Amino acid sequence: MFQFIKQVGDYAKETIQAAKFIGQGLSVTFDHMRRRPVTVQYPYEKLIPSERYRGRIHFEFDKCISCEVCVRVCPINLPVVDYEYDKTSKKKKLKHYSIDFGVCIFCGNCVEYCPTNCISMTEEYELASYDRHELNYDNVAMGRLPYKVTNDPMVTPLREFAYLPKGVMEPHDLPAGSQRPGQRPEEAASK
Amino acid sequence: MNSGIDLQGSFIEYLTNFGLPQGAAKAVWMPLPMLLVITAAAVGLLVTVWLERKISAAAQQRIGPEYAGPLGVLQPLADGLKLIFKEDVVPNKTDNWLFTLGPVIVVIPIFLSYILIPFGQNLVITNVGTGIFLWVALSSIAPIGLLMSGYASNNKYSLLGGLRAAAQSISYEIPLALSVLAIVMMSNSLSTLDIVEQQSGYGILGWNIWRQPIGFLIFWIAALAECERLPFDLPEAEEELVAGYQTEYAGMKFGLFYVSSYVNLVLSALLVAVLYLGGWESPLPVDRLAGLLGVSETTPWLQVITATIGITLTVLKAYFLVFLAVLLRWTLPRVRIDQLLNLGWKFLLPVSLVNLLLTAALKLSFPAAFGG
Repeated sequence: MFQFIKQVGDYAKETIQAAKFIGQGLSVTFDHMRRRPVTVQYPYEKLIPSERYRGRIHFEFDKCISCEVCVRVCPINLPVVDYEYDKTSKKKKLKHYSIDFGVCIFCGNCVEYCPTNCISMTEEYELASYDRHELNYDNVAMGRLPYKVTNDPMVTPLREFAYLPKGVMEPHDLPAGSQRPGQRPEEAASK
Repeated sequence: MNSGIDLQGSFIEYLTNFGLPQGAAKAVWMPLPMLLVITAAAVGLLVTVWLERKISAAAQQRIGPEYAGPLGVLQPLADGLKLIFKEDVVPNKTDNWLFTLGPVIVVIPIFLSYILIPFGQNLVITNVGTGIFLWVALSSIAPIGLLMSGYASNNKYSLLGGLRAAAQSISYEIPLALSVLAIVMMSNSLSTLDIVEQQSGYGILGWNIWRQPIGFLIFWIAALAECERLPFDLPEAEEELVAGYQTEYAGMKFGLFYVSSYVNLVLSALLVAVLYLGGWESPLPVDRLAGLLGVSETTPWLQVITATIGITLTVLKAYFLVFLAVLLRWTLPRVRIDQLLNLGWKFLLPVSLVNLLLTAALKLSFPAAFGG
């Protein structure tokens, strides 16, 4: 008899506990109602890519010495370096250079190892196209600089999380001149 | 008790003054409330879809629909238009008749149930004597439609989905009916008008939720399960299944399922408002306040004001419950099918039976408070 009553009591206790947890969960979701949305309203708002962002690769044709280091360090030997050996000047003469960004994994090895720094990473990430062959960029396409988000009059640039002042979680309506915590690169360099 | 505004009576009287016979005047009146109900249900549906999307967005710190109309209020309309103009794909070797009939059978009883919802003393389409029982009966037609559409789809997963949906609806109908029975016992009537009447007079203190707290919870849980709302949305389970019984549906036939689920949610919320939250009664008794101020109950402007307050309050209470349902959707994880049936048969059913017995006992011992 007592066993049965104990069982009923335990069951009731469990039920009350479950109801309590549901209530706690509801209060959490309800609390979210008053928080400001964290969504970035792309394409009207865009995040400013960080300074080390690994986007589409930029290539400077005149700096390239056709050494093919980029090809060797690339995990899939992706860059196509088309050159001709010029016997008179005893130098390689670059004719074409291309990287297929449909295949590139943006690891940045080529940028890291290029002896003349003729390739670099940009902040461009909007590479969508209707045909995957259009992603095969030649040296002319890779020589273009991306349009900066901060210069685009159609776009509200928003700072990324790490670039907000200390304790601020919200990139909208930042006061002018607010800075992220820690030193800025130029301050660190001047010391 | 005064009868409040009698729209039908005054409309017919107005027409007979123009020389129309009594019967013809009534015939002119008859389609008006029907149209009104369908429009009201449709508008309620659009509002609910919009609210669901906006509240879901707020609970997830998103913005939600924003560009279709101010604050995205036209978004449900755009969704609906899209569904209407979509191609009506009927898969090969389906039973064409049953395939079309399925969603229709799901939708019609739900819209029909709106005739029972009172928004005021005379603001109800029909005061059926068996009111709430009729609703229980109508709501049990829907599983047939679900099963029918699942079976007619010529797809084993649709059939399984239909079976699961029917199993869920049937098992939660029993606790639902039992908790309604406790209310009926207290108000000695099946009519929705009488149920609200019995809660009137004491403002917020007179509402059934204080006398039937367990019943209220059971009814709300079971209603959520009947509407296939999130903690119990296994038949559809957007994140896991393709769509359950509605897998093969496209265009407006799919839209009808969509419509029925939202309209059913509003209907359930309205019924909770009527059964447990005092229907059109305001938290402060308006007629008593009017009596204190020395305004007669039959004053026309007072009647208009009370009717407006009544409609607003019913809708507000219902939408508060809709809000709760959306909030619950983002709070609770989905139950498994065994947990669903366990909860229904092993918890809600015995608890609702105990609740019924308790109500009966309380009715015998305190007839004044529990409607003896």
